[in-house]
Amino acid sequence: MEAEAAPQTLATDVTFECRDVSYSYLDRYPALDGVSLTVRPGERVALLGANGCGKSTLLKLLDGLVFPSSGAFTAFGHPVTEDTLEDEQFSQAFRSRVGFVFQNSDAQVFSPNVREEIAFGPLQLGLAPDEASARVDEVIAMLDIAALADRAPFQLSGGQKKRVAIASVLATNPEVLLFDEPTAALDPRSQYWLTDLIEQLGAAGKTIVHATHDLDVLPRIADRCVVFSEEHRIVAEGAPEEILADRELLLSVNLIHPGSRLP
Amino acid sequence: MHIPDGYLSPQTCAVGYVIAVPAWAVAVRRVQRVVRNRHVPTLAVLAAVSFLVMMFNIPIPDGTTAHAIGATIIAILLGPWAAVLAVSVALGFQALLFGDGGVLAFGFNCANMAVLAPFAGYGVYKLIAGRSELTAPRRALAAAAGGYAGINAAAFAAAIEFGVQPDLFHNSAGAPLYAPYHLDQTIPAMMLAHLTIAGIAEGILTGGVVAYLQRANVPLLRVNHAGVAAPGEKPGEKPAGPRRVRPLYVALGAVAVMAVLTPLGLLAPGGAFGEDAPEDLDLHKYGLSAVPSGLNKYNGFWHHALFNGYDFTSDAHPTIGYIVSAVVGIAIVGAAIFLITMAVRWIAARRGASRRHETVEQS
Amino acid sequence: MSEQAAVSERVQVPQWLLQPELGMCPCGCVGKRKKGSYLRKTLNGGAGLLRQVMFSDDTARQDGLLQRIDPRVKFLSVIVLLVAAGLARNIATLVAVYAVTLALAAASRLPVGFFVKRVWLFVPIFTGIMVLPATLSVVTHGDVVLTLWHWHGRAEGFTSQGLTSAGLIVSRVAVSISLVVLLTLTTPWVRLLAALRSVGVPRIFILIIGMAYRYIFLLLNTVTDMYQARTSRTIGAAKHDGGARAFLGASGGALFGKANQLSEEVHQAMTARGYRGDAKTLQSFRLRGLDIAAALCCAALAAAILIGDHVLGS
Repeated sequence: MEAEAAPQTLATDVTFECRDVSYSYLDRYPALDGVSLTVRPGERVALLGANGCGKSTLLKLLDGLVFPSSGAFTAFGHPVTEDTLEDEQFSQAFRSRVGFVFQNSDAQVFSPNVREEIAFGPLQLGLAPDEASARVDEVIAMLDIAALADRAPFQLSGGQKKRVAIASVLATNPEVLLFDEPTAALDPRSQYWLTDLIEQLGAAGKTIVHATHDLDVLPRIADRCVVFSEEHRIVAEGAPEEILADRELLLSVNLIHPGSRLP
Repeated sequence: MHIPDGYLSPQTCAVGYVIAVPAWAVAVRRVQRVVRNRHVPTLAVLAAVSFLVMMFNIPIPDGTTAHAIGATIIAILLGPWAAVLAVSVALGFQALLFGDGGVLAFGFNCANMAVLAPFAGYGVYKLIAGRSELTAPRRALAAAAGGYAGINAAAFAAAIEFGVQPDLFHNSAGAPLYAPYHLDQTIPAMMLAHLTIAGIAEGILTGGVVAYLQRANVPLLRVNHAGVAAPGEKPGEKPAGPRRVRPLYVALGAVAVMAVLTPLGLLAPGGAFGEDAPEDLDLHKYGLSAVPSGLNKYNGFWHHALFNGYDFTSDAHPTIGYIVSAVVGIAIVGAAIFLITMAVRWIAARRGASRRHETVEQS
Repeated sequence: MSEQAAVSERVQVPQWLLQPELGMCPCGCVGKRKKGSYLRKTLNGGAGLLRQVMFSDDTARQDGLLQRIDPRVKFLSVIVLLVAAGLARNIATLVAVYAVTLALAAASRLPVGFFVKRVWLFVPIFTGIMVLPATLSVVTHGDVVLTLWHWHGRAEGFTSQGLTSAGLIVSRVAVSISLVVLLTLTTPWVRLLAALRSVGVPRIFILIIGMAYRYIFLLLNTVTDMYQARTSRTIGAAKHDGGARAFLGASGGALFGKANQLSEEVHQAMTARGYRGDAKTLQSFRLRGLDIAAALCCAALAAAILIGDHVLGS
């Protein structure tokens, strides 16, 4: 599958590399300021930081949806710019290797029904309708959403929509998964299910980068934490246990409140 | 204004598609260029918005309702071609899912509300807004006038489509096969309802949204206003001379749009049961000032009002009668637009001057 | 515990927020009520819209005659029959077609009472009221069958031409709506969309329509939320329609802002999954014997309408 999607072999031991990237919305509101980050294959990286610190923007940048105003971003050893993504082959290879689960499932689940939604990615990436259809069935079975297959998105609950969004991303079988606050606004049961899923996907060898506020489960779903300050810079990196032990750090980036209890 | 199936003959409906299909084809190409590959989600969301706008029925004192279309505001935000597609899709939903507006009549519904309305509205908006700043109150007022003109142009076109039916299509005994009213009845009936209620609703919506966006979301306004200066930026050179005559231009522009449509009705081979023209004129004026009321009521009312003078004429002059009624309809709309434009110009001149001082000081 | 104390120290809660407001009269008496504004009615109508859509989804899943026919065949048949009904010039013909639609509704296991109500409510009834004046000789000249008054010695009243015309338009409108309602009640929306695609509607339209359909309900929720947020902050009797109009202006603007933001996000979500401006869709249609039979039946019915109408004369 991979060889098919990526015509030239992209042998490299670095999945993503950001060098000193900055980004600002409308050239006015800064979101990232001189961020450097390397993600290796199979790694599970958690992005931590207060609301509005630039985590989501970084994820969009890693997915080639926004482009740095300065600095360089490479994926699988190739520079990712507006220009290189114009190239159909590169774009197709990149999109099939990287999947993004958005925070807002309402924006992500845009098709008239669930089956079409899940089929969207595989079809865009050039699978034949039969093949795509078979893949849809498998993903539906895997995520246990067969009962939802013919429903319209507005008939789904928040947790169901999240499942559908994840199914729609997994259907293209990406090797890198980006999650933007995956457990936000989910009930505890769905949160638990999702944490389990991320753990399993990591165990299956997927590279995972996720932005999260859920500190309790960090040790289960991350090998490395990257902490953002409210000034849109990276201020610390380290193993989850290490970061969680550093109360001062988490207080200084306004991620926790003096009243918060840490795991 | 959603024409159901059965009001227009299938032949007329075909004409509607002849107008709408090329408009869609051009629109698809134009829109792809303007919003590039973002067009699908953008148009989808705008179509949903237009659908919601049409859902908000505003009550008219007599118990019926009128609704805005949202065509002009979409034209202002993303250009008239985007509005063509967005409103067409919204109308498509209503026709297919909710039985609101016919499937055969869909072509003409789109020609009226999705093609004519945004272009007429956008044209009026552009003319009145001139080269004023992006956040100038004049722009909001121009938007309101544009919305008003757009929906009225659509209503006028619909009135013509209804009005030509009885003369074009009737059985051997003379019974109309489709919509039974003549132009001299449909035009005043449709125009009164739209000039007074629906037009104002669309005007408030269009102007209100622009005014809101001027305060809250200037970047959204900028999408379709590339060359227009916003406060804090350098305003473009002030147009000095042409401003004077603008209201006239605006009114003439609107009149031209409607006049272009008028000959449609002259296709009518049968005789319009003619009226005594001056009588008719007076009654139109009388009705206009006296009765703010809705479509169906109008239709009923109108005939009672008309029938005083109705039978005086035995020598019917169909073409003249038609032209007179069309001219009256157009003249009323044109005069209304002219007056609004004058008022807009006056207010904008007063407010714009003081506002410009403020913004300069603030920035 | 000391941390908890620190929290309440940090946030300076104004005194008035800590005291309960004397909102409800302690005796529990009920205040004056006012009729809701048209805004609330419309928003309630929105809930009705959703119900209607879900209901069509249910009926489309039932195992009836029309549900089994290919949506493309159904769509084209409806167009053909609409044109045929549009060309018919006799009330008798239209009544016969209406009877056929009722039979089809019954064969498709649609609740016939509901079907009749859905068709007749609003448009045909509205049409009937609207054409009423046209039955009079002052509008439709012709043979007066019921004299109501005299004008300059001439009898005025209902004309046979006027009555025929009114009957024609009302029955034609009812037949047309029945045909479209039959289509929507027996075809799942997604299948209908796919059918449109395969009868030649460009893909870009299908994509826009599908997505717009999905977002109508989301945006409707947004508007409802805005309205409820406003209502919950409105103390005392809300001003009637004036307040509603002010709300419309602001919420309309906010709606466009949200819509724009949403479209940007949706576009990113599409791009992330490989969308490059030309979407592909799943579709699987196969024509079966039943579909061909249905197409033939439709053609025969259309021919019968036209020939029968011709025989009846005009």
